[in-house]
Amino acid sequence: MSRRLVIAGLIVALALGTALPAGCAGGDDATDGSGDAGKEPYVVGAVLSLTGAQSALGVPEKNAIDLEVARINAEGGINGHPLEVIIEDDASDVDQAIARTTKLIEQDNVLAIIGSTGTGQSMAMRDEINLAQVPQVALGSGAIISRELDPWVFQTPWTADLIVPLALEYLADQGLTNVGLITEDTGFGKDGRELIGATAADHGLTVVSDQVFKPADTDMTGQLTVIKGAGADVVLMWSSVAASSIVPKNMAQLNLGIPLVCSHGVAKQEFIDGAGEAGEGVLAFAGKVLAPETYGVGTPSYEAATGFVERYTEAYGVAPDHFAGHAYDGLYLVVEALKRLDEGFTPSDLRDEIERTSGFPGIGGVFTFSATDHNGMTSDDIVMYRIEGGAWVLAE
Amino acid sequence: MEASELLQLVIAGLKNGSIYALLALGFTIVYAATNVINFAQGEFYMLGGMLAVFAFSGLNVPLVAAVALAVVTVAGIGALFERLAIRPRKDADPMALIIITVGGSLVFASVARHLFGSDALPLPEFTPGPSFVFAGAAIERQTIWIWVIVTATVIGLTLLYNRTRLGRAMRACMENREAARLMGIDTARVVMVSFALAAALGALAGVAVTPLTSTRFDIGAGIAVKGFAAAILGGLGSPLAAVAGGLLLGLIEQAVIPFSSVLKDVVALAVLLLVLFVRPQGLFRRTRKEKV
Repeated sequence: MSRRLVIAGLIVALALGTALPAGCAGGDDATDGSGDAGKEPYVVGAVLSLTGAQSALGVPEKNAIDLEVARINAEGGINGHPLEVIIEDDASDVDQAIARTTKLIEQDNVLAIIGSTGTGQSMAMRDEINLAQVPQVALGSGAIISRELDPWVFQTPWTADLIVPLALEYLADQGLTNVGLITEDTGFGKDGRELIGATAADHGLTVVSDQVFKPADTDMTGQLTVIKGAGADVVLMWSSVAASSIVPKNMAQLNLGIPLVCSHGVAKQEFIDGAGEAGEGVLAFAGKVLAPETYGVGTPSYEAATGFVERYTEAYGVAPDHFAGHAYDGLYLVVEALKRLDEGFTPSDLRDEIERTSGFPGIGGVFTFSATDHNGMTSDDIVMYRIEGGAWVLAE
Repeated sequence: MEASELLQLVIAGLKNGSIYALLALGFTIVYAATNVINFAQGEFYMLGGMLAVFAFSGLNVPLVAAVALAVVTVAGIGALFERLAIRPRKDADPMALIIITVGGSLVFASVARHLFGSDALPLPEFTPGPSFVFAGAAIERQTIWIWVIVTATVIGLTLLYNRTRLGRAMRACMENREAARLMGIDTARVVMVSFALAAALGALAGVAVTPLTSTRFDIGAGIAVKGFAAAILGGLGSPLAAVAGGLLLGLIEQAVIPFSSVLKDVVALAVLLLVLFVRPQGLFRRTRKEKV
């Protein structure tokens, strides 16, 4: 009897927490300002998921911030003030994110907070942010962050609200009206799934099959068989986890013979490596950083992106992924606003100044915030890519 | 639904089920020897894939050798884990040992992340080529390999248990560890061999699946749940029942997909809890008198 209960308890515990945090190291990591010793440093906080399920995103974000803070200080800081960014790890955990936010606000008196990495954490920090009235630039990509607009919260990644309409419009243009939808069972996947389900009809499309897979799944032939049976013209995938690369392989195996169109979640080398030859021809919508010439050679965005890619690659031996780019944008949105402010500004002044950001050439796109738009990008910032010869290239 | 689609779902079910079966065998073998649920079993699966990728891509070892190297190394890691983490506390409450294995799984995942990074890493298929088509349903070549591995494992384990001294000692421990010890069986050795064997089977599953899915430092926990569920379905007793439990779990999952893929895992877990309360001895075992 007791053994039965113990095992039942373990099953429930495991089912609830399949994503056991894969690490538990915590602690501070301050990127120190070594610029002008005369003026006191501007201290900014960052809550990132350096360990746990989202560490693959959080680590490049930290790399980007470390790299750029050193560069900003080497060039004299912000109006003579050295910049110090205190990075805290939330271990991909909502409660940790809240605790780290409180610490940054109460102990470190930060001017603004960048992060967190995930949408769940970014949303959970909101109460603390509002209570303390400190601006937040979230790096989570959930559309809810900007949809439920908060005056103090800004957001740098591309969201479903930005990309879903473009993907659906493309499918409609191509006459691919019967959509087989496959999404990952996470917050990111749900975001796309709900919006596609709600707006497909507006584009004259029908979702003939709505399939979901878990990040831990090893095979999607079952879901794809059902999609095939439903008579889909195209598979539309909304996923960012590693398991997404199984989908094109399974499609090739089943000889589905229909195109695969994806969200920005797959726009990385990892997806190509995982999918192998089956990945050839896969389409995805994402920002321009994968093909910087699309910014327009010589434009400020082109210079920013190529410069960042070069510095990052030199420092870390790998090209930055788009998460690093989102962190770069988050950092510079704060830094540029700080540059424009005179001495003696209040947190409210900083918030207002971030909101006044107009035409800032970032990695993710050109940011123009307003009182009603805290994501700040437009469909002009998104292009379509195709996998060709093992690389993401610009599609027509 | 057409017959070919149904067949395709059955093939997917048997493929996933075979992977669950290999993990379930690992859970069952360790449980038989120690009464401990080894939650690090999923990490052996992850490490198998990781080390094979490392040997193949990092050390440029031929694929066959990389696979063998990975399985043998992980078996060694399993034995070492038992020696360093389990044996010093072997007289502790099973619950304490279970917690140790949970801790072990976190350590394995963290170390893997530091050594191999946090990206998904691919491995080529054992025998690349187009899928076989059978009655309108496609079967990947790698799936055939997975089935071959499971079949060979079942045959190998049957021979081990019935034909070898070590196997008989393991079975004796399964029946009653204390009595086996009194009969002069080296139970400490049996426990260590059980961990090594479980680790090797986990690694074998991981190596066989990596060409299809790539591998990543954090995939262990997710697959461990499935393997554990399969082991419970099988009753944590006979290895054959563990394999049957794995295949059954794979088939149940696929049976749910045409109705709702969102509910796939929920239904599988619900079946598991049902089995646990209605037939705690597993689906395939006859009730036996509990020892007092």
